[in-house]
Amino acid sequence: MHPSWSHAVRSAGLVTLATFAFTVFPLDAQSSVSSTAAPVTTHEVVDEFGRMVRVPVAPTRIVSLAPSLTETIYALGAQNHLVGDTDFCDYPPDAQKKTKVGGAINPNLEEIAALHPDLVLVTREINRLETVRALDTLGIPAYATDAHSVDDIISNTQKLADLLGIPEAGKTLTADLRMRLAKLQAKLKGIPPTRVLFIVWTEPLISIGKNTFIADALNKADATSIVDSPRDWPQMSLEEVVHLQPDYLVFAASHSEGGARDFEALVDRPGWRNLDAVRNRHYAVISDAVNRPAPRIVSAIEDLAHQLHPAAFIEAPAPEGSPALASPNPDAEPVTPTPPARYSTGAQRSHEEFACAR
Amino acid sequence: MRPLTLTRLLLRCAILAAILFGVVLLALKLGAVQVSLYGLGKDLVSVLLRHTNALSSDYGMIVLDIRLPRILLGIVVGASLSVAGTSFQALLRNPLADPYVLGVSSGAALGAILALIVESHMSLSPEMAGLITPVGAFIGAALTISAVYLLGLRDGEIDSTTLLLGGIITVSFLNAIIMFLMTTLSGSNLRGMAFWLMGDLSTPQPRSLLYFLCLGFIIASGAIYTTASDLNLLLAGEKEAMHLGVDVPRVRIVVYLAASVLTGLAVSVSGAIGYIGLLVPHVMRLIFGSDHRMLLPASALGGAIAIVIADTLARTVTAPTDLPVGAMTAAAGAPLFLYLLRRRIA
Amino acid sequence: MSTAVRHPLPGDASRATSDVRLSVEQVSYAYAPNPSQAPLFTLEALSFQAKPGEVVAILGPNASGKSTLLQLIAGSLLPLSGRIFLNGFETHTLPVKTRAQRIALVQQESRLLFPSRAWEFVMQGRHPYHPGLRFESDEDIAIANNALAQVGASHLADRWMDKVSGGEKQRIILARALAQQPLLLLLDEPTLHLDIGAQVDLLESLRRLAAQNRYTVVVVTHELNLAGEYADQVVLLQRGKCLRVGTPASVLQREILEQVFQAPLSVEMTASGRPRVTLFSNK
Repeated sequence: MHPSWSHAVRSAGLVTLATFAFTVFPLDAQSSVSSTAAPVTTHEVVDEFGRMVRVPVAPTRIVSLAPSLTETIYALGAQNHLVGDTDFCDYPPDAQKKTKVGGAINPNLEEIAALHPDLVLVTREINRLETVRALDTLGIPAYATDAHSVDDIISNTQKLADLLGIPEAGKTLTADLRMRLAKLQAKLKGIPPTRVLFIVWTEPLISIGKNTFIADALNKADATSIVDSPRDWPQMSLEEVVHLQPDYLVFAASHSEGGARDFEALVDRPGWRNLDAVRNRHYAVISDAVNRPAPRIVSAIEDLAHQLHPAAFIEAPAPEGSPALASPNPDAEPVTPTPPARYSTGAQRSHEEFACAR
Repeated sequence: MRPLTLTRLLLRCAILAAILFGVVLLALKLGAVQVSLYGLGKDLVSVLLRHTNALSSDYGMIVLDIRLPRILLGIVVGASLSVAGTSFQALLRNPLADPYVLGVSSGAALGAILALIVESHMSLSPEMAGLITPVGAFIGAALTISAVYLLGLRDGEIDSTTLLLGGIITVSFLNAIIMFLMTTLSGSNLRGMAFWLMGDLSTPQPRSLLYFLCLGFIIASGAIYTTASDLNLLLAGEKEAMHLGVDVPRVRIVVYLAASVLTGLAVSVSGAIGYIGLLVPHVMRLIFGSDHRMLLPASALGGAIAIVIADTLARTVTAPTDLPVGAMTAAAGAPLFLYLLRRRIA
Repeated sequence: MSTAVRHPLPGDASRATSDVRLSVEQVSYAYAPNPSQAPLFTLEALSFQAKPGEVVAILGPNASGKSTLLQLIAGSLLPLSGRIFLNGFETHTLPVKTRAQRIALVQQESRLLFPSRAWEFVMQGRHPYHPGLRFESDEDIAIANNALAQVGASHLADRWMDKVSGGEKQRIILARALAQQPLLLLLDEPTLHLDIGAQVDLLESLRRLAAQNRYTVVVVTHELNLAGEYADQVVLLQRGKCLRVGTPASVLQREILEQVFQAPLSVEMTASGRPRVTLFSNK
């Protein structure tokens, strides 16, 4: 063994190591986005994670990491500032044309960084804390929202509008949403709430917990979820559901045919057959907007109320452009009402009349 | 007759290191965002010469702040898992042993889940919340290491078969608890946990954690390397090794602890990335033979290369969506394992 | 200029003399898997001595305690009573590395998890001389080559261990033991899987090596005639009890052999003064 050889090899190894070290350690010097842009006014806000975030007063490049946030941005009319969203942001259809940065759970940090956003929006519900921390490391402000009730959704909409520097649009939108809900409350006054089972998944049977905004949305439609669980997505045993015998099953689907299919699949299943709601075909299908804490949930609530309590809406024939259809943002696509479920009560025919009248 | 000499060892390691360097350069270049390495190189040189203080290129931040830390994390994790796998295969005299067979990853997973559950009931600052998962995972790993060690004792000494059995039982038991706890997790935690269980490098870790990881790797693999000659003899059987002068109880303890610590550290930050610890030792053995003085450093470098390739694929194959790196190692690892089996190596 | 570090012990100088090297004194052993139960197996106290250059055969039927006695001599089992001395030092008190420099044990076979080449295998015998992590020196290579030559397996150096025949493997395992440069060479039933020609070859080699390198060789076997022909001393065991110790002629006698092996036989003396046992069929 020649000492000079091994010495040379060892030196080469050290040089390689040193090169690596040199590239790693200067990292600290350039961790912020190098900007030659004009200085931006910023202010500090506290988000729903309890973090203090420094955001620009009027952000112009926004990335949304949740479909509900994308929808809300469109509803507020700020979509021109939306530069990127997730693969799952499909409503309104224009959102699908935005640059995609990956999923909500696993967005691609490089893509987000390449868009040079000045604000990234996340939700506590479907995004990970790790994503927020990663954005912090990169010096990109990230703001998280969280909603556990319909009122939360509405107030979050206002908060978001304030954050985006368009408080007026927020006021208009939230006022409209509140008005619609108030009208609904008035119509449903005095009617005992229907006991429902909101079905997220059938195998295993998963429903929603009492602290979720979906449960609150059901309440607003004068329905109560029979599931009384503190967890967000409790798994139910079919026995317990049969014991509780809900009056109606509620499905959320992007197309009504999908919901009807879900129901038909259950009709002959053992266990499910023992439910009165299945035997009597008491089920409602509403838009999957109910799953997103965005303004569109109010339409889903109204739709559900119509399906569960048709009697409350018979008196006044709907005028042209009924409140259920009017959308505060004229650019957004009109909400397509889901066709009513077929159920064999006497109210059916008059409900169909009402449907024709829409 | 060509015994291993220091020169030959260093030369082979230098070749592997060169391959690793090349793979790293390729990984820096590829990704959802295209990067010009030449431009980046120019910028780096000018920074080093202090002509400018920040990188002028757009992609500079992407490369240095996102890609490079991820690649370096992958290197340490890949090297740790491979060295641990090689050690366990020698310690347990079982070619099917991988770093997780003694329950370290299950313990870490349980620790991570418990940390998530605890965190949701406390309101921690985001910095603390970020550390709680790796710390919880490492505590879970450490407790499991101790428990399995105690289970593996027979007549006061670790016995390889008893250790293996103890590990398998622990894995089943812990997995049952983990499955139960997963049903209690909220939606986004559940999805995050699923990613963790598959093995995922996409979460940037705090710098201090990375240094700690590197230090742990150097110390633990150094300890194992001192027993490299002993491990060669251990492969023939413990009695034979003893008659050839190996202090078997000491070697067992050192290798068990060091390899478990390597696994625990790697799993705490990246989840349970599969197939690296199992297959890289076999491939390196095919190329370099089973002399552990060569095999251990070769496995470390080979594991680093494998992970960087797998992670780069995970980042680019379905861009912009990030696949977890564990999905990539499983997709490539399973067919490779089948091939090795057919060659009667594993 | 030796780089091999052998921990010196007083009395090593006696290697070249005909003083007693191995002394087994009233050694007994008992094995009980459960401490509260009666022992399953016992070896009653026995004694014998061996000199450098001597070949000792431990003879007996199955389960007579031969392998146990060998393990006791090798230092891997602790005797219940009595002591075993190698050049004046108790074998089980020596540190593992030192013991491996003095005692080499050849088992019946070697289970290799991952195959290696023959020369790598023989190199393992140099391990006791390496403190910690070390690479083999030229001296180690020379010793290993020499060991292979001494067993007539030089041509097998580059072969893979899983591709050699039983007899060749046995020779390579023996070469590894020789590479340890031991004082005491222990073999446990080395002829078990060998054909007759190979058996004779092996015993011839052992006798030659013992004389050349002044080893003390202890061979466990149940082959009466091999023991009779090649051993200088025979220790006859039956069911854990030592029946006789002495030269082959004095131990291999008809009455005692018939009692031990439960088979009719006759013993003749050859021209060289060695006993030869002939077995008759059991009627």
